[in-house]
Amino acid sequence: MEPHRDYLSRLADIDAKVERARVDPEVVLGRAAGLLAGRTGCRVDEAHAHLLRLAAERGDDPGETAADVLEALEDCTPQKPDRLGSLTETALRPPPPAGRRSSPGSFPSSGPAAPSGVPSVVSGWADIVQQVLDAVPGRHIVLMPVRDRNGRIEDYTFAAASPSVVDLSGRRGTQIVGRRVSETYPTLVNGPIWEAWGESIADGLSREVGPVPYASPAERAPVDVTLTVRVRPVGLGLLNSWVRHDEEDRLAERIAQTEQLGNLGWGEWDLLTGKIVWSEGLYRIYERDPAEGPLPSEESDALTVPEDIPLRQQAVEIFGRGETVDVSYRIRVGDRIKHIRTIVDAVRDTDGRPVKVYGIVQDVTARETSRVRLAEVEQQLREHQRSLAAEHRLTVQLQQIVLPIPAAPFDLPGLRAAVRYLPAETASRVGGDWYHAAAADDGSVVLAVGDVAGHGLQAAAVMAQLRHALAALSVTTTSDPAALLTHLNQLLYAGRSAADLMPLTATAVVARYDPPTGTLVWAQAGHPAPLRARAGVTTELDRPEGALLGAFPEVRYGTAAATVVPGDLLLFYTDGLIEHRDRTLEEGLAPVLVTLNRLSGERNQQPLAELLAQLRHANPDDDACILAVRPLPVASDPGGDDG
Amino acid sequence: MDAVSVNPVSDGTLHVVLRGEIDFTKSAWVRKVICDAVIEQRPSAVRVEMAEVAFLDSSGIGVLVEVMRAAWEVNAAFQVERPTARVYDQLRTAGLLAAFGLT
Repeated sequence: MEPHRDYLSRLADIDAKVERARVDPEVVLGRAAGLLAGRTGCRVDEAHAHLLRLAAERGDDPGETAADVLEALEDCTPQKPDRLGSLTETALRPPPPAGRRSSPGSFPSSGPAAPSGVPSVVSGWADIVQQVLDAVPGRHIVLMPVRDRNGRIEDYTFAAASPSVVDLSGRRGTQIVGRRVSETYPTLVNGPIWEAWGESIADGLSREVGPVPYASPAERAPVDVTLTVRVRPVGLGLLNSWVRHDEEDRLAERIAQTEQLGNLGWGEWDLLTGKIVWSEGLYRIYERDPAEGPLPSEESDALTVPEDIPLRQQAVEIFGRGETVDVSYRIRVGDRIKHIRTIVDAVRDTDGRPVKVYGIVQDVTARETSRVRLAEVEQQLREHQRSLAAEHRLTVQLQQIVLPIPAAPFDLPGLRAAVRYLPAETASRVGGDWYHAAAADDGSVVLAVGDVAGHGLQAAAVMAQLRHALAALSVTTTSDPAALLTHLNQLLYAGRSAADLMPLTATAVVARYDPPTGTLVWAQAGHPAPLRARAGVTTELDRPEGALLGAFPEVRYGTAAATVVPGDLLLFYTDGLIEHRDRTLEEGLAPVLVTLNRLSGERNQQPLAELLAQLRHANPDDDACILAVRPLPVASDPGGDDG
Repeated sequence: MDAVSVNPVSDGTLHVVLRGEIDFTKSAWVRKVICDAVIEQRPSAVRVEMAEVAFLDSSGIGVLVEVMRAAWEVNAAFQVERPTARVYDQLRTAGLLAAFGLT
């Protein structure tokens, strides 16, 4: 009785484990939440939260509260073992013996109601054998010898067949019952299997034939099939168990491939014998040499990472309740952490005690790792988007504070001016374009537009610096355009720091308009010249020399002079208006010139508003700033309305 | 092809080749690649080959200015070579032809 004692001790081990897991507070809480959810129809997490709240209200430990709830809920259910007992009893009651499948009436093709030469006691025996074959797994056929008048065996009939038997020509076992072998499989007659049958009938001993090649008369049968037949004398007949070798190979191969494809493995633990069997895949997952044999369960348990031990505990508890376990946890194999999903179930005896434990294990590390990585990347992306959106908001706010754009044309001494800002379409490209239009201390008007290289917050900050400096200098220090640019260049050159990621340069054009004379004196720092439109003809003003701001410690800025008269339109712009990576600057400028020519050639009452409404971005990647002015007549005529 | 390649100093000259579009999206990186090479190798001259540059935005012009200043820091001559007509126009507008050795 040694094996039995071992079995009992293994069972006791499992019970102890289950008991330990059962009292684990987390497990108790989980069970109580699950039971509560089942009874009330709410979600498990809601039930879980409710229990925690309840425990807090009672000032109690959540585990104890859960235990109380469990006790209350479990008490009002009928005792499970009883129900289980009655269930199993019903299930095991023998079925009524009527209506056998092998009764000849159900096989019209098989001819007469009872095969000739078969006594009725035989058909009764065949019925019983058929019932047995219906109940047991595997593929078996029972044959009965058919004897001639001299008592010699002349043929065999199929007396019973397992329901799962399908022969090579696709006939089901139940379809051949009652038929003769010589009619159904003529190639078998007098072959090695045929011989073996005769010998077993004669000596009453089992034998095995094969592997023998099988040649089927049917066209549908596959070629190259080999069979082994195990022949056992049973009662009045012969029990044949067929093994198709190709199928066995195919099955084994398929299992191996499935294991490999799915990173799967399976294991079995026979509690009666204590024997543990691991599949090839399981050895692969645990990176263990199959020659070493399976890992004892204590050792494989010990590989679980400490944080996931509660998960295992829950699994043990679930197993203890007789349910199928499906649990994912991490194990440490060598220096790597693997994510393992395990499904465990047991073959149990009539008392519900496990007899054999089997598990399917899947290595889901790759999936887990990519899931975690994906979540990380998504998180980073979200943060990045948040910070981008925040920067964009800040840039736009800064620009609105530093560079409020008047909605309508406004008047300055002797001039009417209008401004339009075309922001870059891409949020991060909002940047460093600016304008200035204000009366200076000496009665002149200072007009300017500028463009800081780059985009975003840094460019906007530099833009603010330059614009405020220009506004302050033109009131306090000078209205001379060249002098103003010299100051701005010094400011930008000195303010540059090696830590700046982006190059710090800027371009600008600054002009001073003298209302009494209508003279425009201007200078530029690496910036496109203003455009003057007069009576349908637009010219780019001749540029004086001047390099961009921030590049050189000292730059000489030249000045140029031009006259503007009422009816002229003067346009200052930044290169976002004309610059496009697929067009030359001339091509980009052309539509602007067309618009200016047309508006200055017609008697338009609101030329500035029209002009700004009609100018379009050349480059949606860049922002653009446009300042348009026209001299107002000195006399009583107030000009247009816009105007 | 990368937007920038820097050939090690030969006969004291650092050869830089720029390609494609040098714009806001690349300027910080291009600038770092070239300026690091200039500071490490301390050449006596820096030549920037521009024949394959199709487009330069204001950040791209800023990159050239920064490289020029890095060259000056190590007392190296700075020369921009073979700009396309389009880029030449841009550099003229920016007032950089003389400083870039293009006059």
